[in-house]
Amino acid sequence: MIEINLVVNEKPYTLNVEPSERLIDALRNRLGLLGTKEGCGEGECGACTVIMDGKTVNSCLVLAAQANGSVITTIEGVGNRRSPHPVQKAFVEVGAVQCGFCTPGMVLSAKNLLDRNLKPSETEIGIAMSGNLCRCTGYDKILRAVKIAAEEGAK
Amino acid sequence: MKYFQPHSVEDALEIAQTAEATFLAGGTDLVLHMRTGKVQPSGIIDLGKVSVLREIKITDGFLNIGSMATFADLGKSELVLRNAYALWQACQTMGSPQIRNQATLGGNLGNCSPAADGLPPLLALGAEVHLMSAEKEEIVPLATLLGRTPLLGQETLIRGFCIPLKELKSGFAKLGRRRALAIARLSVAVALEVNENKVENVRVALGAVGRRAFLSESLSQVLSGQELNQEWLEKGVLEVQRIVREALGTRASAPYKRVAVSGVFREALESIITEGGIQA
Ligand SMILES: Cc1cc2nc3c(=O)[nH]c(=O)nc-3n(C[C@H](O)[C@H](O)[C@H](O)COP(=O)(O)OP(=O)(O)OC[C@H]3O[C@@H](n4cnc5c(N)ncnc54)[C@H](O)[C@@H]3O)c2cc1C
Ligand code: FES
Ligand code: FES
Repeated sequence: MIEINLVVNEKPYTLNVEPSERLIDALRNRLGLLGTKEGCGEGECGACTVIMDGKTVNSCLVLAAQANGSVITTIEGVGNRRSPHPVQKAFVEVGAVQCGFCTPGMVLSAKNLLDRNLKPSETEIGIAMSGNLCRCTGYDKILRAVKIAAEEGAK
Repeated sequence: MKYFQPHSVEDALEIAQTAEATFLAGGTDLVLHMRTGKVQPSGIIDLGKVSVLREIKITDGFLNIGSMATFADLGKSELVLRNAYALWQACQTMGSPQIRNQATLGGNLGNCSPAADGLPPLLALGAEVHLMSAEKEEIVPLATLLGRTPLLGQETLIRGFCIPLKELKSGFAKLGRRRALAIARLSVAVALEVNENKVENVRVALGAVGRRAFLSESLSQVLSGQELNQEWLEKGVLEVQRIVREALGTRASAPYKRVAVSGVFREALESIITEGGIQA
Protein backbone atom coordinates (compact mmCIF):
# COMPACT_ATOMS: atom_id res chain seq x y z
CA MET A 1 0.00 0.00 0.00
CA ILE A 2 1.14 3.55 -0.64
CA GLU A 3 -0.03 6.69 1.04
CA ILE A 4 -1.27 9.49 -1.19
CA ASN A 5 -2.61 12.96 -0.52
CA LEU A 6 -5.13 14.56 -2.79
CA VAL A 7 -7.88 17.12 -2.82
CA VAL A 8 -11.23 15.96 -4.18
CA ASN A 9 -14.07 18.44 -4.61
CA GLU A 10 -12.21 20.88 -2.36
CA LYS A 11 -11.77 18.40 0.50
CA PRO A 12 -8.29 17.08 1.38
CA TYR A 13 -7.86 13.30 1.78
CA THR A 14 -5.04 10.97 2.77
CA LEU A 15 -5.57 7.49 1.35
CA ASN A 16 -3.72 4.21 1.38
CA VAL A 17 -4.01 2.67 -2.06
CA GLU A 18 -2.71 -0.38 -3.90
CA PRO A 19 -0.03 0.44 -6.52
CA SER A 20 -2.21 -1.01 -9.28
CA GLU A 21 -5.41 0.65 -8.08
CA ARG A 22 -6.94 3.06 -10.59
CA LEU A 23 -8.19 6.52 -9.74
CA ILE A 24 -11.75 5.53 -10.65
CA ASP A 25 -11.60 2.67 -8.11
CA ALA A 26 -10.31 4.94 -5.36
CA LEU A 27 -12.99 7.55 -6.07
CA ARG A 28 -15.85 5.06 -6.18
CA ASN A 29 -14.81 2.49 -3.58
CA ARG A 30 -12.84 4.50 -1.06
CA LEU A 31 -14.58 7.86 -1.29
CA GLY A 32 -18.03 6.61 -2.29
CA LEU A 33 -18.20 9.05 -5.20
CA LEU A 34 -20.39 6.95 -7.47
CA GLY A 35 -21.12 9.68 -10.00
CA THR A 36 -17.92 8.76 -11.87
CA LYS A 37 -18.99 5.93 -14.19
CA GLU A 38 -17.00 3.11 -15.71
CA GLY A 39 -18.08 2.35 -19.25
CA CYS A 40 -15.43 0.77 -21.42
CA GLY A 41 -12.58 0.79 -18.91
CA GLU A 42 -10.23 1.35 -21.86
CA GLY A 43 -10.03 5.08 -22.41
CA GLU A 44 -12.53 5.15 -25.29
CA CYS A 45 -15.86 6.36 -23.89
CA GLY A 46 -15.08 9.16 -21.42
CA ALA A 47 -17.78 8.09 -18.92
CA CYS A 48 -15.08 8.09 -16.22
CA THR A 49 -13.88 11.66 -17.01
CA VAL A 50 -12.74 13.75 -14.04
CA ILE A 51 -10.88 17.05 -13.93
CA MET A 52 -7.36 16.60 -12.56
CA ASP A 53 -5.24 19.72 -12.01
CA GLY A 54 -7.38 21.65 -14.45
CA LYS A 55 -7.40 19.02 -17.20
CA THR A 56 -9.87 16.32 -18.14
CA VAL A 57 -8.55 12.77 -17.86
CA ASN A 58 -10.06 9.31 -18.06
CA SER A 59 -9.92 8.05 -14.48
CA CYS A 60 -9.92 4.45 -15.72
CA LEU A 61 -6.43 5.04 -17.18
CA VAL A 62 -4.87 6.93 -14.25
CA LEU A 63 -3.46 5.08 -11.26
CA ALA A 64 -4.63 6.46 -7.93
CA ALA A 65 -0.96 6.84 -6.98
CA GLN A 66 -0.38 9.08 -10.02
CA ALA A 67 -2.94 11.48 -8.55
CA ASN A 68 -0.81 11.98 -5.44
CA GLY A 69 -0.63 15.73 -4.82
CA SER A 70 -3.39 16.51 -7.33
CA VAL A 71 -6.59 18.51 -7.15
CA ILE A 72 -9.56 16.63 -8.55
CA THR A 73 -13.12 17.57 -9.43
CA THR A 74 -15.75 14.87 -9.90
CA ILE A 75 -19.38 15.39 -10.88
CA GLU A 76 -20.29 15.61 -7.17
CA GLY A 77 -18.18 18.79 -7.00
CA VAL A 78 -19.90 20.49 -9.92
CA GLY A 79 -23.41 21.08 -8.72
CA ASN A 80 -26.43 19.36 -7.25
CA ARG A 81 -30.18 19.20 -7.60
CA ARG A 82 -30.70 22.40 -5.65
CA SER A 83 -28.03 24.44 -7.33
CA PRO A 84 -27.15 22.87 -10.66
CA HIS A 85 -24.21 24.13 -12.70
CA PRO A 86 -25.24 26.10 -15.84
CA VAL A 87 -24.04 23.15 -17.94
CA GLN A 88 -26.25 20.76 -15.98
CA LYS A 89 -29.23 23.10 -16.34
CA ALA A 90 -28.72 23.35 -20.07
CA PHE A 91 -28.41 19.55 -20.43
CA VAL A 92 -31.77 19.08 -18.73
CA GLU A 93 -33.47 21.90 -20.62
CA VAL A 94 -32.35 20.70 -24.03
CA GLY A 95 -33.08 17.05 -23.28
CA ALA A 96 -29.47 15.98 -23.69
CA VAL A 97 -29.89 13.35 -20.98
CA GLN A 98 -31.52 9.98 -21.61
CA CYS A 99 -30.11 7.06 -19.62
CA GLY A 100 -27.66 9.50 -18.06
CA PHE A 101 -24.68 7.16 -17.98
CA CYS A 102 -22.51 9.43 -20.09
CA THR A 103 -23.76 12.65 -18.52
CA PRO A 104 -21.29 13.11 -15.63
CA GLY A 105 -18.35 12.81 -18.02
CA MET A 106 -20.02 15.07 -20.58
CA VAL A 107 -20.73 17.73 -17.96
CA LEU A 108 -17.13 17.66 -16.72
CA SER A 109 -15.71 18.02 -20.24
CA ALA A 110 -18.10 20.92 -20.90
CA LYS A 111 -17.40 22.61 -17.57
CA ASN A 112 -13.66 22.31 -18.12
CA LEU A 113 -14.01 23.92 -21.56
CA LEU A 114 -16.06 26.83 -20.20
CA ASP A 115 -13.66 27.31 -17.29
CA ARG A 116 -10.89 27.90 -19.83
CA ASN A 117 -12.82 29.55 -22.63
CA LEU A 118 -15.84 31.76 -22.00
CA LYS A 119 -16.83 32.00 -25.64
CA PRO A 120 -16.00 28.74 -27.38
CA SER A 121 -16.75 28.38 -31.09
CA GLU A 122 -18.76 25.41 -32.36
CA THR A 123 -15.54 23.77 -33.50
CA GLU A 124 -14.00 24.22 -30.07
CA ILE A 125 -17.08 22.72 -28.44
CA GLY A 126 -16.96 19.79 -30.86
CA ILE A 127 -13.31 19.10 -30.06
CA ALA A 128 -13.78 19.44 -26.30
CA MET A 129 -16.64 16.93 -26.31
CA SER A 130 -15.05 14.48 -28.77
CA GLY A 131 -13.69 12.17 -26.05
CA ASN A 132 -17.15 11.50 -24.59
CA LEU A 133 -19.42 8.95 -26.24
CA CYS A 134 -23.19 8.69 -25.85
CA ARG A 135 -25.20 5.69 -26.91
CA CYS A 136 -28.60 7.30 -26.50
CA THR A 137 -28.97 10.91 -27.59
CA GLY A 138 -27.84 12.42 -30.81
CA TYR A 139 -24.76 14.51 -30.24
CA ASP A 140 -26.67 17.51 -31.58
CA LYS A 141 -28.50 17.96 -28.32
CA ILE A 142 -25.36 17.66 -26.26
CA LEU A 143 -23.48 20.19 -28.38
CA ARG A 144 -26.48 22.52 -28.29
CA ALA A 145 -26.61 22.26 -24.49
CA VAL A 146 -22.96 23.24 -24.20
CA LYS A 147 -23.54 26.17 -26.52
CA ILE A 148 -26.49 27.37 -24.47
CA ALA A 149 -24.50 27.03 -21.24
CA ALA A 150 -21.71 29.09 -22.80
CA GLU A 151 -24.14 31.81 -23.86
CA GLU A 152 -25.74 31.83 -20.40
CA GLY A 153 -22.37 31.99 -18.70
CA ALA A 154 -21.15 34.81 -20.92
CA LYS A 155 -24.09 37.03 -19.99
CA MET B 1 4.44 -4.44 -6.53
CA LYS B 2 6.58 -1.51 -5.49
CA TYR B 3 5.74 2.05 -6.47
CA PHE B 4 8.33 4.81 -6.69
CA GLN B 5 7.65 8.47 -7.29
CA PRO B 6 11.02 10.19 -7.72
CA HIS B 7 11.36 13.98 -8.09
CA SER B 8 14.55 14.11 -10.14
CA VAL B 9 16.07 12.36 -13.15
CA GLU B 10 19.03 11.22 -11.00
CA ASP B 11 16.74 9.52 -8.48
CA ALA B 12 14.71 7.89 -11.24
CA LEU B 13 17.87 6.47 -12.83
CA GLU B 14 19.17 5.18 -9.53
CA ILE B 15 15.92 3.39 -8.75
CA ALA B 16 15.88 1.93 -12.26
CA GLN B 17 19.35 0.54 -11.74
CA THR B 18 18.71 -1.06 -8.37
CA ALA B 19 15.08 -2.15 -8.53
CA GLU B 20 13.44 -4.25 -11.19
CA ALA B 21 10.90 -1.66 -12.19
CA THR B 22 9.14 -0.23 -15.24
CA PHE B 23 8.86 3.46 -16.06
CA LEU B 24 5.36 4.91 -15.97
CA ALA B 25 4.61 8.10 -17.93
CA GLY B 26 0.94 8.98 -18.56
CA GLY B 27 -0.22 5.40 -18.23
CA THR B 28 -2.58 5.34 -21.24
CA ASP B 29 -0.81 2.23 -22.54
CA LEU B 30 0.77 0.81 -19.41
CA VAL B 31 -2.28 0.94 -17.12
CA LEU B 32 -4.29 -0.95 -19.75
CA HIS B 33 -1.52 -3.50 -20.30
CA MET B 34 -1.31 -4.10 -16.55
CA ARG B 35 -5.02 -4.75 -16.40
CA THR B 36 -5.06 -7.20 -19.26
CA GLY B 37 -1.97 -8.91 -17.85
CA LYS B 38 0.07 -8.17 -20.96
CA VAL B 39 2.74 -6.75 -18.66
CA GLN B 40 3.18 -7.56 -14.98
CA PRO B 41 5.81 -5.20 -13.62
CA SER B 42 7.31 -6.00 -10.25
CA GLY B 43 7.76 -2.29 -9.65
CA ILE B 44 6.75 1.04 -11.13
CA ILE B 45 8.77 4.24 -11.41
CA ASP B 46 6.20 7.00 -11.89
CA LEU B 47 7.88 9.88 -13.75
CA GLY B 48 4.96 12.26 -13.20
CA LYS B 49 6.72 14.29 -10.52
CA VAL B 50 9.97 14.81 -12.44
CA SER B 51 9.02 18.23 -13.74
CA VAL B 52 12.16 18.89 -15.84
CA LEU B 53 11.05 16.07 -18.12
CA ARG B 54 8.08 18.14 -19.28
CA GLU B 55 10.09 21.02 -20.69
CA ILE B 56 9.78 22.13 -24.30
CA LYS B 57 12.54 24.60 -25.21
CA ILE B 58 15.09 25.73 -27.77
CA THR B 59 18.81 25.24 -27.09
CA ASP B 60 21.82 25.23 -29.41
CA GLY B 61 19.97 24.89 -32.66
CA PHE B 62 17.59 22.20 -31.46
CA LEU B 63 14.00 22.07 -30.33
CA ASN B 64 14.27 20.00 -27.14
CA ILE B 65 11.19 18.12 -25.99
CA GLY B 66 11.18 16.33 -22.64
CA SER B 67 9.83 12.80 -22.69
CA MET B 68 7.00 13.69 -20.30
CA ALA B 69 5.57 16.48 -22.48
CA THR B 70 2.00 15.44 -23.24
CA PHE B 71 0.35 15.52 -26.66
CA ALA B 72 -1.81 18.36 -25.29
CA ASP B 73 1.31 20.32 -24.21
CA LEU B 74 2.86 19.82 -27.65
CA GLY B 75 -0.33 20.60 -29.54
CA LYS B 76 -0.57 23.95 -27.75
CA SER B 77 3.10 24.87 -28.03
CA GLU B 78 4.08 27.83 -30.24
CA LEU B 79 7.61 26.39 -30.46
CA VAL B 80 6.33 23.10 -31.82
CA LEU B 81 3.94 24.83 -34.21
CA ARG B 82 6.74 26.93 -35.66
CA ASN B 83 9.57 24.40 -35.68
CA ALA B 84 7.99 20.98 -36.04
CA TYR B 85 4.74 21.44 -37.90
CA ALA B 86 4.18 17.76 -38.73
CA LEU B 87 4.47 16.85 -35.06
CA TRP B 88 2.12 19.65 -34.11
CA GLN B 89 -0.43 18.35 -36.61
CA ALA B 90 -0.13 14.81 -35.26
CA CYS B 91 -0.82 16.10 -31.76
CA GLN B 92 -4.16 17.64 -32.83
CA THR B 93 -5.62 14.36 -34.03
CA MET B 94 -4.08 11.91 -31.59
CA GLY B 95 -6.58 10.12 -29.30
CA SER B 96 -9.21 12.30 -27.61
CA PRO B 97 -8.79 15.43 -25.45
CA GLN B 98 -8.61 13.26 -22.32
CA ILE B 99 -5.99 10.98 -23.88
CA ARG B 100 -3.94 13.95 -25.14
CA ASN B 101 -3.95 15.47 -21.65
CA GLN B 102 -2.37 12.33 -20.26
CA ALA B 103 -0.39 10.63 -23.03
CA THR B 104 3.27 11.63 -23.43
CA LEU B 105 5.64 11.62 -26.39
CA GLY B 106 8.12 9.49 -24.42
CA GLY B 107 5.40 6.91 -23.75
CA ASN B 108 4.52 6.90 -27.44
CA LEU B 109 8.08 5.82 -28.23
CA GLY B 110 8.32 3.53 -25.19
CA ASN B 111 5.20 1.64 -26.23
CA CYS B 112 6.23 1.84 -29.89
CA SER B 113 3.08 0.49 -31.48
CA PRO B 114 3.22 0.23 -35.28
CA ALA B 115 0.66 3.06 -35.43
CA ALA B 116 2.23 5.40 -32.85
CA ASP B 117 1.33 8.85 -34.19
CA GLY B 118 4.33 10.69 -32.77
CA LEU B 119 6.97 8.62 -34.52
CA PRO B 120 6.53 9.35 -38.27
CA PRO B 121 6.76 13.15 -37.71
CA LEU B 122 9.82 12.74 -35.48
CA LEU B 123 11.47 10.52 -38.11
CA ALA B 124 10.71 12.91 -40.96
CA LEU B 125 12.02 15.87 -38.94
CA GLY B 126 15.28 14.03 -38.24
CA ALA B 127 14.80 13.83 -34.47
CA GLU B 128 17.38 12.36 -32.15
CA VAL B 129 16.54 10.63 -28.90
CA HIS B 130 18.31 11.40 -25.65
CA LEU B 131 18.66 8.19 -23.61
CA MET B 132 20.03 7.91 -20.09
CA SER B 133 20.77 5.23 -17.56
CA ALA B 134 22.78 5.38 -14.35
CA GLU B 135 25.76 4.14 -16.33
CA LYS B 136 25.41 5.57 -19.78
CA GLU B 137 24.15 8.56 -21.69
CA GLU B 138 23.53 8.47 -25.41
CA ILE B 139 22.02 10.58 -28.17
CA VAL B 140 20.87 8.45 -31.10
CA PRO B 141 18.92 9.25 -34.26
CA LEU B 142 15.38 7.94 -33.84
CA ALA B 143 15.74 6.05 -37.13
CA THR B 144 18.70 4.13 -35.66
CA LEU B 145 16.98 3.49 -32.34
CA LEU B 146 13.95 2.01 -34.09
CA GLY B 147 16.25 -0.60 -35.62
CA ARG B 148 17.15 -1.99 -32.20
CA THR B 149 15.55 -4.99 -30.51
CA PRO B 150 14.66 -4.64 -27.75
CA LEU B 151 14.09 -0.94 -28.21
CA LEU B 152 15.41 -0.04 -24.74
CA GLY B 153 17.04 -1.73 -21.80
CA GLN B 154 14.82 -1.89 -18.73
CA GLU B 155 16.99 0.66 -16.90
CA THR B 156 17.12 3.09 -19.82
CA LEU B 157 15.18 6.32 -19.52
CA ILE B 158 14.00 8.26 -22.54
CA ARG B 159 15.13 11.71 -21.42
CA GLY B 160 13.78 13.55 -24.43
CA PHE B 161 13.88 14.36 -28.13
CA CYS B 162 16.06 16.83 -30.05
CA ILE B 163 14.75 18.15 -33.36
CA PRO B 164 17.31 20.13 -35.42
CA LEU B 165 16.12 23.61 -36.38
CA LYS B 166 16.50 23.54 -40.14
CA GLU B 167 13.59 25.57 -41.46
CA LEU B 168 11.97 22.45 -42.80
CA LYS B 169 8.52 22.38 -44.28
CA SER B 170 6.64 19.43 -42.93
CA GLY B 171 3.23 17.80 -42.80
CA PHE B 172 1.40 14.80 -41.37
CA ALA B 173 -1.79 12.92 -42.17
CA LYS B 174 -3.38 9.74 -40.92
CA LEU B 175 -6.22 7.42 -41.52
CA GLY B 176 -8.13 5.56 -38.86
CA ARG B 177 -8.44 5.77 -35.14
CA ARG B 178 -6.48 3.74 -32.68
CA ARG B 179 -9.10 1.09 -32.15
CA ALA B 180 -10.04 1.01 -35.77
CA LEU B 181 -9.03 -2.34 -37.18
CA ALA B 182 -5.33 -2.49 -37.94
CA ILE B 183 -6.30 -2.78 -41.58
CA ALA B 184 -7.72 0.74 -41.55
CA ARG B 185 -4.77 2.52 -40.01
CA LEU B 186 -2.05 4.34 -41.85
CA SER B 187 0.01 7.49 -41.33
CA VAL B 188 2.46 9.54 -43.39
CA ALA B 189 4.81 12.35 -42.38
CA VAL B 190 6.87 14.38 -44.84
CA ALA B 191 9.61 16.95 -44.27
CA LEU B 192 11.69 18.77 -46.86
CA GLU B 193 13.85 21.81 -47.51
CA VAL B 194 12.87 24.33 -50.15
CA ASN B 195 15.61 25.94 -52.25
CA GLU B 196 14.30 28.38 -54.85
CA ASN B 197 11.81 26.13 -56.64
CA LYS B 198 13.58 22.90 -55.79
CA VAL B 199 13.04 20.59 -52.86
CA GLU B 200 16.01 19.00 -51.10
CA ASN B 201 16.47 16.38 -48.44
CA VAL B 202 12.96 15.02 -48.71
CA ARG B 203 12.19 12.65 -45.85
CA VAL B 204 9.05 10.54 -45.83
CA ALA B 205 8.12 8.33 -42.87
CA LEU B 206 5.30 5.80 -42.79
CA GLY B 207 3.35 4.48 -39.80
CA ALA B 208 1.25 1.30 -39.50
CA VAL B 209 2.72 -0.35 -42.58
CA GLY B 210 5.33 -2.35 -40.73
CA ARG B 211 6.27 -3.53 -37.26
CA ARG B 212 7.46 -0.01 -36.47
CA ALA B 213 7.33 3.38 -38.18
CA PHE B 214 10.14 3.80 -40.72
CA LEU B 215 11.81 6.29 -43.06
CA SER B 216 11.80 5.52 -46.74
CA GLU B 217 15.24 5.75 -48.39
CA SER B 218 13.86 5.30 -51.88
CA LEU B 219 11.30 8.09 -51.54
CA SER B 220 14.10 10.38 -50.44
CA GLN B 221 16.05 9.53 -53.55
CA VAL B 222 13.16 9.76 -55.96
CA LEU B 223 11.90 13.08 -54.64
CA SER B 224 14.95 15.10 -53.56
CA GLY B 225 16.66 17.73 -55.71
CA GLN B 226 13.71 18.24 -58.01
CA GLU B 227 11.22 20.86 -58.90
CA LEU B 228 8.05 20.74 -56.92
CA ASN B 229 5.18 20.34 -59.35
CA GLN B 230 2.34 18.00 -60.27
CA GLU B 231 4.72 15.56 -61.88
CA TRP B 232 6.75 15.40 -58.67
CA LEU B 233 3.66 14.64 -56.67
CA GLU B 234 2.55 11.84 -59.01
CA LYS B 235 6.02 10.31 -58.90
CA GLY B 236 5.80 10.36 -55.11
CA VAL B 237 2.39 8.70 -55.16
CA LEU B 238 3.62 5.84 -57.37
CA GLU B 239 6.68 5.30 -55.24
CA VAL B 240 4.82 5.39 -51.92
CA GLN B 241 2.39 2.81 -53.29
CA ARG B 242 5.28 0.61 -54.35
CA ILE B 243 6.79 0.84 -50.86
CA VAL B 244 3.55 -0.12 -49.17
CA ARG B 245 3.15 -3.05 -51.56
CA GLU B 246 6.65 -4.21 -50.76
CA ALA B 247 6.30 -3.73 -47.01
CA LEU B 248 2.97 -5.50 -46.70
CA GLY B 249 3.48 -8.30 -49.22
CA THR B 250 0.55 -10.68 -49.16
CA ARG B 251 -0.95 -9.42 -45.91
CA ALA B 252 -4.70 -8.98 -45.95
CA SER B 253 -4.42 -5.23 -45.48
CA ALA B 254 -2.13 -4.78 -48.50
CA PRO B 255 -4.67 -4.05 -51.27
CA TYR B 256 -6.55 -1.52 -49.14
CA LYS B 257 -3.51 0.29 -47.85
CA ARG B 258 -1.86 0.45 -51.23
CA VAL B 259 -4.78 2.47 -52.50
CA ALA B 260 -5.36 4.46 -49.32
CA VAL B 261 -1.75 5.58 -48.98
CA SER B 262 -1.91 7.80 -52.04
CA GLY B 263 -4.64 9.91 -50.43
CA VAL B 264 -2.86 10.06 -47.09
CA PHE B 265 0.41 11.01 -48.83
CA ARG B 266 -1.29 13.84 -50.75
CA GLU B 267 -2.95 15.06 -47.56
CA ALA B 268 0.37 15.09 -45.69
CA LEU B 269 1.67 17.42 -48.40
CA GLU B 270 -1.31 19.77 -48.26
CA SER B 271 0.32 22.14 -45.81
CA ILE B 272 3.43 22.27 -48.02
CA ILE B 273 1.97 22.51 -51.51
CA THR B 274 -0.75 25.08 -51.93
CA GLU B 275 -2.58 25.86 -55.13
CA GLY B 276 -0.10 28.49 -56.18
CA GLY B 277 2.89 26.24 -55.63
CA ILE B 278 5.05 25.90 -52.56
CA GLN B 279 3.84 27.61 -49.45
CA ALA B 280 6.04 30.53 -48.47
C1 LIG C 1 -8.42 5.49 -26.10
C2 LIG C 1 -7.01 5.57 -26.57
C3 LIG C 1 -6.71 6.22 -27.77
C4 LIG C 1 -5.40 6.31 -28.22
N1 LIG C 1 -5.17 6.92 -29.41
C5 LIG C 1 -3.90 7.00 -29.89
C6 LIG C 1 -3.62 7.65 -31.12
O1 LIG C 1 -4.52 8.20 -31.80
N2 LIG C 1 -2.33 7.67 -31.55
C7 LIG C 1 -1.30 7.10 -30.83
O2 LIG C 1 -0.16 7.16 -31.26
N3 LIG C 1 -1.55 6.48 -29.66
C8 LIG C 1 -2.81 6.40 -29.17
N4 LIG C 1 -3.04 5.76 -27.99
C9 LIG C 1 -1.94 5.07 -27.30
C10 LIG C 1 -1.23 5.85 -26.19
O3 LIG C 1 -2.05 6.88 -25.69
C11 LIG C 1 0.10 6.45 -26.68
O4 LIG C 1 0.96 5.43 -27.10
C12 LIG C 1 0.78 7.32 -25.62
O5 LIG C 1 1.72 8.17 -26.25
C13 LIG C 1 1.48 6.56 -24.51
O6 LIG C 1 2.04 7.50 -23.62
P1 LIG C 1 1.88 7.38 -22.02
O7 LIG C 1 2.54 8.57 -21.45
O8 LIG C 1 0.48 7.15 -21.64
O9 LIG C 1 2.76 6.08 -21.78
P2 LIG C 1 2.71 4.94 -20.66
O10 LIG C 1 1.50 4.12 -20.84
O11 LIG C 1 2.96 5.53 -19.32
O12 LIG C 1 4.01 4.11 -21.09
C14 LIG C 1 4.07 3.40 -22.31
C15 LIG C 1 5.36 2.58 -22.37
O13 LIG C 1 6.50 3.42 -22.50
C16 LIG C 1 7.40 3.23 -21.41
N5 LIG C 1 7.89 4.58 -21.06
C17 LIG C 1 7.12 5.67 -20.86
N6 LIG C 1 7.89 6.76 -20.62
C18 LIG C 1 9.18 6.34 -20.68
C19 LIG C 1 10.44 6.99 -20.52
N7 LIG C 1 10.53 8.33 -20.29
N8 LIG C 1 11.57 6.26 -20.62
C20 LIG C 1 11.51 4.92 -20.87
N9 LIG C 1 10.34 4.24 -21.04
C21 LIG C 1 9.19 4.95 -20.94
C22 LIG C 1 6.60 2.58 -20.31
O14 LIG C 1 7.40 1.77 -19.48
C23 LIG C 1 5.62 1.76 -21.12
O15 LIG C 1 6.20 0.56 -21.53
C24 LIG C 1 -4.35 5.72 -27.48
C25 LIG C 1 -4.64 5.11 -26.25
C26 LIG C 1 -5.93 5.02 -25.80
C27 LIG C 1 -6.22 4.35 -24.49
S1 FES D 1 -14.55 4.00 -18.70
FE1 FES D 1 -12.83 5.26 -18.84
S2 FES D 1 -12.95 5.92 -20.87
FE2 FES D 1 -14.53 4.45 -20.82
S1 FES E 1 -27.62 9.42 -22.28
FE1 FES E 1 -27.33 7.27 -22.32
S2 FES E 1 -25.24 7.14 -22.91
FE2 FES E 1 -25.64 9.22 -23.12
